[in-house]
Amino acid sequence: MGQLIAANDLVKAFPASRRMADVLRGHRPVLRAVNGVSLAVGAGQALGIVGESGCGKTTTARLLLRLEEPTSGSVVFEGQDVTALRGAALLPFRSRVQLVFQNPFDALNPRFTIRRSLTEPLRNFGLPAQERHARILEAMARVRLDPPEAYLDRHPHELSGGQLQRVVLARALVTHPRAIIADEPVSMLDVSVRAGVLNVLRRARDELQLAAIYISHDLALIRYVCEEVAVMYLGRIVESGPTAEVIASAAHPYTRALVAAVPVPRVDQDRGDLPIRGGLPDQLNQPSGCAFRDRCPLAFARCTEEAPPLRAIAPGRHAACHLA
Amino acid sequence: MDALLSVRDLAVHYRTAAGPVRAVDGASFDVPARSIVGLVGESGCGKSTLGRALMGVMPRSASIAAGSAVFEGRDLVTLSAAERRKLLWRRMAFVPQTAMNALDPVQRLGAQMMEVLVERGGLSRPEAGTRAAELFALVGLDSGRLRDWPHQFSGGMRQRASIALALALNPALLIADEPVTALDVIVQRQILDVMRELQARLGLAMILVTHDVAVVAYACDRVVVMYAGRVVESGPVRAVLEAPLHPYTMGLMNAFPDLERAGGELVPIEGAPPSLLNPPSGCRFAARCPFAVARCAEDPALVEQAPDHHVACWRAAEAPALRPLASEAATWAS
Ligand SMILES: Nc1ncnc2c1ncn2[C@@H]1O[C@H](COP(=O)(O)OP(=O)(O)O)[C@@H](O)[C@H]1O
Ligand SMILES: Nc1ncnc2c1ncn2[C@@H]1O[C@H](COP(=O)(O)OP(=O)(O)O)[C@@H](O)[C@H]1O
Ligand code: SF4
Ligand code: SF4
Ligand SMILES: [Mg+2]
Ligand SMILES: [Mg+2]
Repeated sequence: MGQLIAANDLVKAFPASRRMADVLRGHRPVLRAVNGVSLAVGAGQALGIVGESGCGKTTTARLLLRLEEPTSGSVVFEGQDVTALRGAALLPFRSRVQLVFQNPFDALNPRFTIRRSLTEPLRNFGLPAQERHARILEAMARVRLDPPEAYLDRHPHELSGGQLQRVVLARALVTHPRAIIADEPVSMLDVSVRAGVLNVLRRARDELQLAAIYISHDLALIRYVCEEVAVMYLGRIVESGPTAEVIASAAHPYTRALVAAVPVPRVDQDRGDLPIRGGLPDQLNQPSGCAFRDRCPLAFARCTEEAPPLRAIAPGRHAACHLA
Repeated sequence: MDALLSVRDLAVHYRTAAGPVRAVDGASFDVPARSIVGLVGESGCGKSTLGRALMGVMPRSASIAAGSAVFEGRDLVTLSAAERRKLLWRRMAFVPQTAMNALDPVQRLGAQMMEVLVERGGLSRPEAGTRAAELFALVGLDSGRLRDWPHQFSGGMRQRASIALALALNPALLIADEPVTALDVIVQRQILDVMRELQARLGLAMILVTHDVAVVAYACDRVVVMYAGRVVESGPVRAVLEAPLHPYTMGLMNAFPDLERAGGELVPIEGAPPSLLNPPSGCRFAARCPFAVARCAEDPALVEQAPDHHVACWRAAEAPALRPLASEAATWAS
């Protein structure tokens, strides 16, 4: 299957000098928010990126969207390296790869009607008014905002969270993108309306054959919308593969902890300790060897000395653990 | 059952230019001693308003319009403001919806803890220092971090710190508003474990406000389901979640993405809760309920349908037959 959008060995280092003394001594520590991430998504495919907050998911998304300059590595879209594109040269890419914001309550201008919010992305397209209107109606039908007249002249505060998130998705679709990247698209919504938004996302992906990347800390949500998943820990992908397989037989201890932590609405459930210790380490003082070792229940001597590379462990599956 | 808190027909209104917002409109439920009660429902159903009203920390525009809330034998609704203040922290304490709201950003955590312990609790400074370290240890924080500022803490650590602060003066009842909502799954689980452990060790009672039935299933003994300012179902967690009697509770359960349930479509509850400025008459869930019938134009009362299991739905007796229908997406499609 062709790759519509791909990341090759992306690295993003932020300056992280917290102490004036460091700066004066010319010592400039950097925080590698993304540290060698490669991934690829084809048309009609969906990839989930999962991990705790602080693992580098949003930075990965921003690099893919070209909202952030990578320190090294490249972004390839429809076979073209877009890493070097700047300014006006980026505009076609921007309309073809769209972001769905996390917080629908912030994503829309509160003073704009829904019609205006949906028209705005088409401003520089030079489309006749009639065509613009047709695009808006098409996008609204796609996200099941029905009938459109019931929404077009309203303002964001008149809509519920679930309706707003559909508007945000419709806005991403009016430019006829080839790829969408959704960063925690339902985390601000009530559980009861998440299902509706996830169903709409999945149908849009199928009907338009979009390449989709969804970011979440919850594997159960990823499972519903993504056939493939990449697990991130401290800026690196530590496991990847078909979502169902990764959940059923996780190879990396971190993935196993994420699986065990998935909330389930059942009364009888395992309430044992999670197979993980504490929280994320200080990003500037990561452990030697395997970055996960201070939280890993299986760590052994070799993990201190040697960083496990991400390697193939089965057809379509990769993991970065000495024991995988 | 020995109830620590007994809420009856409680109504809390906000005054607005457009008229009263009936945010809580006749809520009744019990919180037994030493139990964790989940207060669950979608955004806008009145959960935070109810929690704040019980705590006596409401905005000026809010007032208790009716009902009673008997806590340790005294009706909170009729207590004077001064008596109310005496209960706060000492007998009942609050963890507000965003952990950052509980903590003062320009004060070190230790100083905030000392303020509560010395000024409200009357402890000496050395006593308070020891107690502060104890409290941090209780919620799994290193006491060395009492010197830190709130911004140096991660979301999960801030939530632990605000729980420690709420526990400072040994309250009998803790009300925590969405304590894990903004946190990722691993931290969520760790915080819920802390709360369960505290409940067991200290014999506390808690009201845990959440929109997430998985949080209720994991951490609570009892559950109160709220919809549009009313309690629509309540009882022991097992009875309510395993055999829900109200269609809204069935909907909340079925909308949940389940790791173990095979693919297929999720089952959303279409629509949103009504505005509480002019709540609809009759059953407030009727506009979204797939099982509504003519009778639902009248208001169903909260009744004890089975021992200790209350529900407000005309068709509660048919629940066993409705449950399989409620698990199909087609049933809810508008
Ligand atoms: N603009 C920035 N400057 C400095 N550090 C940043 C910046 N953006 C993100 N970071 C840091 O990079 C790490 C990864 O952040 P992020 O990509 O937001 O992770 P996630 O989305 O998984 O929570 C975090 O430690 C964060 O503090
Ligand atoms: N200060 C206020 N003034 C007027 N209405 C309010 C105020 N705070 C909340 N409300 C309304 O009261 C209802 C219940 O809100 P809230 O208690 O916050 O619900 P929940 O915590 O379940 O999301 C909502 O309809 C909300 O819009
Ligand atoms: S390499 Fe070692 S420390 Fe790292 S995940 Fe595997 S067992 Fe754990
Ligand atoms: S009373 Fe009627 S409308 Fe209300 S929940 Fe029961 S069946 Fe549905
Ligand atoms: Mg993020
Ligand atoms: Mg609330």
